[in-house]
Amino acid sequence: MGGLEQRFPVPLKNFSVEIKGNNTDLVICRYDDHFLVMATQIGTMGTILHARKEEGVTVEPTFNVSVILGKRDEPMLLAITRQLIENISSSGSSMPLVLSLGLKDHSTETLKGIVSAVVENRLW
Amino acid sequence: MSSPSSSFGKASDSEAASKSAAASAASGGVQVTTFTELVDEVTLHFQIIHLAKQIYVWIGSDSAKLGNLYAAAPTRPNNSVSVTSILGGASDNTGSGIARRLVLKTGLNIIVACNIPKNNPMLEANAEKKLMEKLITLGYSRPKSRSPGA
Repeated sequence: MGGLEQRFPVPLKNFSVEIKGNNTDLVICRYDDHFLVMATQIGTMGTILHARKEEGVTVEPTFNVSVILGKRDEPMLLAITRQLIENISSSGSSMPLVLSLGLKDHSTETLKGIVSAVVENRLW
Repeated sequence: MSSPSSSFGKASDSEAASKSAAASAASGGVQVTTFTELVDEVTLHFQIIHLAKQIYVWIGSDSAKLGNLYAAAPTRPNNSVSVTSILGGASDNTGSGIARRLVLKTGLNIIVACNIPKNNPMLEANAEKKLMEKLITLGYSRPKSRSPGA
């Protein structure tokens, strides 16, 4: 019985952009309970970060952003993560984000390039 | 005058052609392989994201949740393997064995996201088997060291 004709349950986008002369491969996945975003210029996932929204009862949401594997001394990575989780939240989703960043440079231009490439191709 | 270099050029051309044939399976930056298998009446979904020096694997069953995330890599000097849980997996390490054995068999640096029911070692073993079969098909098995007489 060929009952496995259902579509694969995880929507995924896979594309490349050039940021500051560096080829950047991006993958965005939507799981049932997380978004996964990978941005790499170095052929590995690099540093992996986690971000979630913490909703209070009456106050505005706050966000918890942390490194779960990799560089803990590069604030630009946390900044990208924070911008993306805020974008997710303002698009109406409360799902947390797992973000991997394997970047060759940590400049502001790269930060803006990554954030805009992801937001343009978002799955939220 | 250029015959040695032209034959060298031909070899690298065919190499380049086969590399681009493999790469063209990717739409966009990296190659993504997804497949679904029915194993012991359980539907398992697999997702493999191939980066140049690392692979990411997701195994899902009844839901498409991310599950527990593990990082595993070969560790010098003994060719042993290190695994660490990086998300979830606090009280349940379903999937950490899969991560460890994938690295042992392929020598790759791997991130595994595992969302299969816990307390089901048969299911875990079957999932690992299906995954390993696919990785071998994709060319990822660890090259066996040649024995001296061969």
